[in-house]
Amino acid sequence: MFDGMKMMGSRMRGWFTMRRVDEEFQQELNEHLEMLAEEGVRRGLPREEARREARLRLGGTTQLRETNRELQGLPFLDTLLQDIRYGLRTLRKSAGFTSVAVLTLGLGIGANTAIFSVIHAVLLSPLPYDHPERIVLIWESNPSGGFNQFAVSPPNYADWHKEASSFEHMASVSRGNFNYTGGAEPEQLSGARVAAPFFAVMGVQPALGRTFVAEDDVVGKAQVVVLSHGLWMRRFGGDRNITGKALTLDGQTYAIIGVMPEGFQVPGRVEFWLPSEFMPRDLGPGARGAHYLRVMGRLKPGVSIEQAQAEMTGISKRLEQQYPRMQKGWTSLVISLNEATVGNIRATLLVLFGAVGFLLLIACANVANLLLARAATRQREMAIRTSLGAGRWRIARQLLTESVLLSTLGSALGLLLAEWGVHALRTLPPSNLPRAAGIQLDLTVLGFTAGLAIATGIVFGLAPALQNLRNAPAETLKEGGRTASAGRHGMRSSLVVLETTLALVLLIGSGLLLKSFLRLQSVDPGYRSKNLLTATVSLPESKYATDRQQAQFFDQLVERLQSLQGVEAVGAASSNALEGQGYNFVFATKELAALAPTEQPSAGFYSVSPDYFRTLGIPLLAGRTFTSQDTAGGPRVAIISQALAKQFFRDRNPIGQSVFIGNSGPEKGQIWREIVGVVQGMKQGAPESPIAPAVYMPYLQDETNHDMASMSLFVRSEVATLDLESSIRERIHALRPDQPVNVILSMQDLISHSLAPRRYSLSLLGIFAALALLLSAVGIFGVVSYITLERRREFGIRLALGATRSHVMAVVLRHGLLLTGAGISAGVAAALLITRVLAQSLFQISPLDATSFFLSFFLLVVISIVACIIPALRAAHLDPVHTLRSD
Amino acid sequence: MAEGRAEILQGTLDLMVLKTLDSMGSLHGYGIARRIEQISEEALLINQGTIYASLVRLLQKRWISSAWGASENNRKAKFYSITKTGRRQLRTEAKNWERISGVVGRVLRIAEKG
Repeated sequence: MFDGMKMMGSRMRGWFTMRRVDEEFQQELNEHLEMLAEEGVRRGLPREEARREARLRLGGTTQLRETNRELQGLPFLDTLLQDIRYGLRTLRKSAGFTSVAVLTLGLGIGANTAIFSVIHAVLLSPLPYDHPERIVLIWESNPSGGFNQFAVSPPNYADWHKEASSFEHMASVSRGNFNYTGGAEPEQLSGARVAAPFFAVMGVQPALGRTFVAEDDVVGKAQVVVLSHGLWMRRFGGDRNITGKALTLDGQTYAIIGVMPEGFQVPGRVEFWLPSEFMPRDLGPGARGAHYLRVMGRLKPGVSIEQAQAEMTGISKRLEQQYPRMQKGWTSLVISLNEATVGNIRATLLVLFGAVGFLLLIACANVANLLLARAATRQREMAIRTSLGAGRWRIARQLLTESVLLSTLGSALGLLLAEWGVHALRTLPPSNLPRAAGIQLDLTVLGFTAGLAIATGIVFGLAPALQNLRNAPAETLKEGGRTASAGRHGMRSSLVVLETTLALVLLIGSGLLLKSFLRLQSVDPGYRSKNLLTATVSLPESKYATDRQQAQFFDQLVERLQSLQGVEAVGAASSNALEGQGYNFVFATKELAALAPTEQPSAGFYSVSPDYFRTLGIPLLAGRTFTSQDTAGGPRVAIISQALAKQFFRDRNPIGQSVFIGNSGPEKGQIWREIVGVVQGMKQGAPESPIAPAVYMPYLQDETNHDMASMSLFVRSEVATLDLESSIRERIHALRPDQPVNVILSMQDLISHSLAPRRYSLSLLGIFAALALLLSAVGIFGVVSYITLERRREFGIRLALGATRSHVMAVVLRHGLLLTGAGISAGVAAALLITRVLAQSLFQISPLDATSFFLSFFLLVVISIVACIIPALRAAHLDPVHTLRSD
Repeated sequence: MAEGRAEILQGTLDLMVLKTLDSMGSLHGYGIARRIEQISEEALLINQGTIYASLVRLLQKRWISSAWGASENNRKAKFYSITKTGRRQLRTEAKNWERISGVVGRVLRIAEKG
């Protein structure tokens, strides 16, 4: 054997250098001829005669060269081509086997490559900043108050910035919407106010011009703005001489000083950056409770997150002692930008990765199974070829070529599917999938998965065939291919059991997600989402400075919209609950008023128009709703949600009681309101969030200092809704021509949108589970068919001896179901262990939910019966006479 | 590895080439062929080219090595010489050969007698 390998090695080298070898050999032969001819001349022959005799004595050079080429391994290429041709022909002849195998491989490879490409882009590749591992987010945190990760107040940021030494740079960031009026149509743009070191924190240089310096942060200096690449291209056509030109936002003119490179969008999708420009009152002692900043920092080289956290904890402790009234219970939390970006999606992606890995395993098991079955049916062919003189290596090479051809076709299909899948994953994802733009087809992964497929092909295609060859060909031929090799049976059966196990785990997993999803969809949000449109309208504060002016505008707008045809009711509110823009303010009853400010409870706060409840369809449970008499001049009133009534008034009737709501505690001279009604309340944010306690007040009585410039409008119509959109826009523009209107959406779309991430993982997992089920069905079908084929003599004899057809069918079915049963038991056991990784993604059901387990189990059993039926029927309808004679 | 009938004849030729190189030192193809012809009294080689297959096989087994050099008439020619492994192999093969030919001879003699 060792000699054999040495020879193979030498032959391989010969193959690579064949041309040179051939030329050398020709030269050697020429010399040989010369020597022979000289010998003839020495014996006295004429030159010509001597040459002729030399050629005779040496033998035909063409033939010698051919023999040499063959020995040197030169025919390797020839036979390879021959093998490929023959392989393609064989694969074409068994089109069924080929297409199932190629499809299986393609699906496994494609799905894995696509999912892993997403994981690579989102989780594994570093963020596109300079030393991204040193960028951190710093939050305030009040675990006892229920705020694990909370925005920072400007005075706290200022103190951190001054005291912390772990950071090279630290900067505050706050987002805001601005009305842009320089273009053809008024437009609302998202921007961010950032402290000057912000760009240094990110470590990103501008593509054009400059970014902020410390002087830009000083109030009263020239107003400057840095543009995003997107806005620069969209609004200024990529003008290279943009610096110094003006951008008008909310009626203010800003000088453009720079443009950031493409793809730089921090925080989130913003289109420009303005200096933070804190006013003295923003930094004053009263502002310490105004949490609205996001703070980012760049760690000094060599400083770990833990060290930074320790320093920040110390600073927070000092601030707590210094300002006990506002800072009691508050500390700070340092987390890496990477963790903040992908922390939420990581679990989902890893679950999907696991699922797709299962799918690849199933695909490989299936292909292995197919190849084993095929090897068994080709025993005779191989035996005949061996007895006709084909060498062992020759046959092995032939089989190898076939396997590799199969895997190559599968990989090609996989590449196509992966390409398509990556595109789909990039364009379809929920809007909150971070870093989606960077998702690209990952060729390394494609190489890995295709390699795995090829290895499967080689192991399971070649091994049994070589084993066959060890059997003497004569024996195989004599037995007429009836040899039932028990070992291989076992192998094929265990492969099917493995497939069934994996498929069941996937089925149960998707079952759990599906059930959660259905539960979420049927959750009552507290309002009727059908035929309800919503739009956000933000007024520029330069033109509508006072709350009164703002309220007046919305009053007029609501009135005008109400007169539209088909409109049932119109409401306005300070926030759109579903978009998660809820405000939480300090809440108090007379009993709670004595508590320290940091201990007072908080409640959701909405300032709403009189028709708000009617428009959203929020039921009134007691008392009355707001009316047009509840104006700024009237007595102060409030409506509370049922949740709040239950929590704070227990058995007492809340109507007529007093409440306070505001952004700091109920101090002297603050306004107390009389509760006039109790409503059922609604969900704040996505369907999985709870119905939180809330206080509603008439927006004409809003004295909370809360910014009313931006309101959400709700329009309830009688029938289908979206054709109302343009009339709503028209009415708004009739009232104020350069008023931008943010997208008008139906509330149903909004709900559906909020479920998008779940729908994403559910549909992917569902697709994987369906594929897994299909592949296992193919696997079961293949094994049972094969076993039936092997036992056809036995069945023939049984039938001849009087067994009924249903009995034979039962035998086959029992065999198939035994395999499935083994797979199901293993699958249930595995699922019991594995489904807990889904716990985070489940809603109101346990990871061990019995219904999901049972339904998956049931589905798998049904599918396996279906897969066994055809071979069972075939066995039952064997013609005993024919069967017994055919061997 | 099982060897076919043809391989036994090849083996004989390989053994002779090996022995030639062992006793004569470095030789080119023509030299080897001539030497075998002379020793076997022109009986064995149908044509001289057949030794090249032998030479390739022996080279692949690393029992001989080859190098280009100058012939007696100052021509460029490929010279073959036996390697250490080759010598070792030759001793075993020769022993085998003697044993087998001895056995075969005895069998044939018995057959003749019987």
